[in-house]
Amino acid sequence: MTLRSAEFRRNRETAWRVLDDLVSRVEKKGLSRLSAAELQELPLLYRTAASSLSVARSIALDRNLILYLEGLVLRAFFVVYGPRIGVLEALGGFLKHGFPQAVRGAGWHILLATLAIAAGIAIGYLMVLPNEAWFSLLVPESMAGGRGPASTAEQLRRTEIFAPWPGFVDSFVVFANFLFRHNATIGIMTFGLGVFGGVPTLLLLGYQGVVLGAFFALHSNRGLLVDFIGWVSIHGVTEIGALILCGAGGLVIAEKILFPGRYNRLDSLAMAGKAAAGLAGGAVLMLFVAGLIEGGLRQLIASTPWRLAIGAATGALWAAYFLSSGRRGRHGPAT
Amino acid sequence: MAQRLDRINRLLDGITRNRREITTPEGVTLEVDVANHGERLVAFLIDFLFWMLATVLLFLVLGLTLLHGVTGSVTVTVVLFLSFLLRNLYFIHFELQSQGATPGKRIVNLKVIDRSGGPLLPGAIVARNLTREVEIFLPLGLFFAVPKIGVGAEFWTAASYFGWAVALSALPFFNRDHLRAGDLIAGTMVISVPRRALLAELAEAQSRFVFNRKQLDAYGAFELQVLEELLRRPPSPDTQMMQDQVCEKIRRKIGWEEAIPPAETLDFLKAFYTAERAHLEREQQFGRYRADKNEPAATGP
Repeated sequence: MTLRSAEFRRNRETAWRVLDDLVSRVEKKGLSRLSAAELQELPLLYRTAASSLSVARSIALDRNLILYLEGLVLRAFFVVYGPRIGVLEALGGFLKHGFPQAVRGAGWHILLATLAIAAGIAIGYLMVLPNEAWFSLLVPESMAGGRGPASTAEQLRRTEIFAPWPGFVDSFVVFANFLFRHNATIGIMTFGLGVFGGVPTLLLLGYQGVVLGAFFALHSNRGLLVDFIGWVSIHGVTEIGALILCGAGGLVIAEKILFPGRYNRLDSLAMAGKAAAGLAGGAVLMLFVAGLIEGGLRQLIASTPWRLAIGAATGALWAAYFLSSGRRGRHGPAT
Repeated sequence: MAQRLDRINRLLDGITRNRREITTPEGVTLEVDVANHGERLVAFLIDFLFWMLATVLLFLVLGLTLLHGVTGSVTVTVVLFLSFLLRNLYFIHFELQSQGATPGKRIVNLKVIDRSGGPLLPGAIVARNLTREVEIFLPLGLFFAVPKIGVGAEFWTAASYFGWAVALSALPFFNRDHLRAGDLIAGTMVISVPRRALLAELAEAQSRFVFNRKQLDAYGAFELQVLEELLRRPPSPDTQMMQDQVCEKIRRKIGWEEAIPPAETLDFLKAFYTAERAHLEREQQFGRYRADKNEPAATGP
């Protein structure tokens, strides 16, 4: 008795075994272990196995055969369509294309996040300016760091704005790292809160603005506004920029959840999620830069005009990077 | 197809798998098993162990090199930063390198795939792993940083961080595909890919047993595949007993007059399996797929 399915199997089994062997080797040791000829053969064998599976499903009742082919095609599928690049290459691609593209794609969300912070600054400033009792209510003790309505202009100038340089290790390693983790926490929170429809994101952004506005008012009352702006701007342009991008990422997510358009919510979230996560991930890298500037460079440069100039320069550099990088069309899948 | 194979799994192993179809770019539909919570937890714990091991090693190396003349706070900072880097790069590196499987996942046979069946892009891997920071490490870190003995605001802050971690870790329990927040954002899912071997062909070319069409109409594909599983079992007194019972059942059902001696049971079953499969496969080619014995046969009485 001849079975069509048995004959089918006899004719193709060798090819399946070869594919199985190739896939097993890649799974164990990675793609680099295959020779050039084997690499060329892999997709062909994969497609043959995929068509074998389709045929087997329609003509065979051999359960083991079908299950084996399903597993084999699935494993080969991962190898053929799996990612082909390393961590550093992925990171490079992200910095060159992914991040600036995500930023350019989120214009509205960035504008909204900026407005939330600006509104916060205005509120904080206008509340504290006439009545400094508000300051201690708006700014938590850990952030005030001893500064408050009781501080005199001289104290602020000596211990804050033109505080002495604490030394390389303490400023660049310890303080920068503390700042980075603190800011990254806030940034990631702004991003993550997007899941709840974006309102908490805007509130958190607004609150960061309120704190900053309260500080502005405090220094303004002591005639230190310009010096304080210089002190903040040298790192603040980068830091607040990063915070805005994190918030924008959260808002992208919120938008896709609230207004999924013609897709269902999950698909819509998955499509926008990578860009949104890219915004937040890139923003965390920006915060790292900001932490270095704030922890070290800021106290090293004890001159308000210079600080303002550096702040403006960082702003221009970021803008140039976001607006120009990765514009040229690329081949291959997006990263 | 999924339901057919599922039914046999349920009968033989007593397991039901959450299955889902993905369509490859070639247009082939593949059934994938959604990874269950236990497997994912085990994989995560293994990865966690590896990562902790690497971090501890790092600590030791740093401790030895930094012992000379550098302050403690610097060491702590450097280690904290490096462990942050290490745990993120660990997952991203391995999922990029070995087609969506970290060492832990590889041990438990799990893989990350694109939910829609497309290629798994580096962006998705980075996104799903960075989200883990928000899901678990960030709230837990904040939770441990806040003093919990305090009353009022501090207690509630700690409670909200803890609630955050718990709520996000519980997310996989509340959707069909067991997706965690990182999977939602990156458009990925984690599946289980058990390794299967291609076993020897069971159909035998020659046999002294010959069955007629009416006898072969007794069963459908389901019974055939259960018989296949029984024939593929490793030989043991237990298997022998089951095969004897099944042989007797089939003999009575198809009205085979002659008694089968125990020594010939396996031959009889294999011969019947071959004939039945040939019959059902031929019928299937004519568009008459018969799922089980309860479905009327095309040439029924």
